Amino acid sequence: MNESQIKTHADFVLSPNVVSKSDISRLVSEFERVDNDLTTASVRSKVGTNEPTQLALSPQLTDFLNQNALKPGNAKERGEIIKQLRLLKENVPVIHMTFAVTADGESLGQLVQWLRTSVHPQSVISVGIQPALVAGVYLRTPNHVHDFSLRTVLKSQHEVLVKELEILRGSR
Amino acid sequence: MGLFHKQKSQNGLSDEEAAELEGHFLDENFREELRNHGRLYFEKVINENARLFKEDLDATIVQVNTELKDHVVGRLDASIVRINDELKEHITKQLDDQFSQYGKVLKDAQDTALQSLSSSAQAVQEQHQQLSATLQKSIANQNVMATSLFEKNMAGMTATKEAQDAALQTLNGSVQAVQEQSQKLITTLQENIAKQEEALMRAFEGNMARVIEHYLLGALGDQYDLKAQLPSIIQQMEDNKQAILDDMKL
Repeated sequence: MNESQIKTHADFVLSPNVVSKSDISRLVSEFERVDNDLTTASVRSKVGTNEPTQLALSPQLTDFLNQNALKPGNAKERGEIIKQLRLLKENVPVIHMTFAVTADGESLGQLVQWLRTSVHPQSVISVGIQPALVAGVYLRTPNHVHDFSLRTVLKSQHEVLVKELEILRGSR
Repeated sequence: MGLFHKQKSQNGLSDEEAAELEGHFLDENFREELRNHGRLYFEKVINENARLFKEDLDATIVQVNTELKDHVVGRLDASIVRINDELKEHITKQLDDQFSQYGKVLKDAQDTALQSLSSSAQAVQEQHQQLSATLQKSIANQNVMATSLFEKNMAGMTATKEAQDAALQTLNGSVQAVQEQSQKLITTLQENIAKQEEALMRAFEGNMARVIEHYLLGALGDQYDLKAQLPSIIQQMEDNKQAILDDMKL
C-alpha cells in the first residue's frame, strides 16, 4: 500500500462497534501503540535482536482495518493512517442522545447504524442518561434539540387528561 | 490274843525247846503273815465300827436337824408375831401423829386460803364497782360525742345536698348550653366539611392528572429498558429525519 492509496478520513467506513467519539479515540491510541511496537521491532531487527512481534489488536481496530482495507505497513504509512484517524476524530459528526435508562451496546449499535444509513455515514453518538425522561430519547444535533421523551409527551397531553377526569366525575 | 501269850508246851518240851521250836515256827515269814492277817482283821473291825458310827451319826444329824428346825421355826414365829405387834403399834402411832399434824396444817391452809379468797373477792368486787362506774361514765361521754357528731354530720350532709342540688342545676344548665353549642358546632362543621370536600375535590381533580402522570412515570421508568423503547425511538427519529438531516448539513 503506497501513500496515494491511503484513504482520507472522509472515506473511512466505521464498523458498528465503533459507536462514540471515545471509540475513535481508542482506535487512534491503539494504532499509535501498534505503530510504536512495529517501530521498536524494526529497530531491534536492525540491531540483530530480532524477536517475533506479536500484535494484539482489539476487535474494533481489527474490524476497522479490515473494512477499510488498511494494513500497518511501513512507518510512513502508519504515520499517515494515524494522521487521518486524528482528523476523523476531530471531524466526525456527533449526535448527543440522552436516554432514561442505561444504554446497552446492542441498542446503541442499532441506533448508530440507523444514523449512518439515514443521516451521515460517519455519525457517532455521545450518550447521556437522565431518568426523569421516563422513556424515549432526548436528541441534540449541533443546532437543534429533539425531545422524544415520554415526559414531554405526558406534559403536552396534561390538559387532555384533566378534561377526561372532569368528564369521568360528571358521569359519576 | 492267845497267839502272843506265852504258853506251856503240852507235849512236855522245855522252854528253850519251846522257844527254839517257836523260833523255828515263828520265823520272819510267819510273822509277816500274821501281821498281814492282823492288819486285815483290824481294818475290817475299823470299817465295821466306822460304818456303825456313820449310821449313828447320820441318824443323830437327822434328829438334830429336825429338832433344830422345829426350834428355829417356833422361835421365828414367836419373833415375827412379836415384831408384827410392835411394828403395828409403832406404825399406828406414827400415822396418828402424822394425821393429826396434817389435819392441823390443812386446817391452817384452809383458813389462810379462805381468808385470801375473801380478801380477793372483796378486791374484785371493789374493782367491779370501779369498772362499772368508769364504764357508765364512758358510755355517757360516748353518747354525748355521738350526738354531737351526728348533729355535725347532719349539718354537713344538708349543706352537701344543697351544694349538690346547686351543682346539678348548674350542670343541667351547662348541659343544655353545651347541647346548643354542640348543635351549632355540628352545623358549622358540616358546612365546613362540605366546603372542604368541595375544595378538596377541586384540588384533587386539578392534581389527579399530575398523580396519574407521576404514577405512569414511576411505573414505566422502572420497567422500560432501551431495547423495548428502540422501535419507538427509531420511528420518532425516522419521523424527524429530514429535520435532523438539515441540521447536520448546516
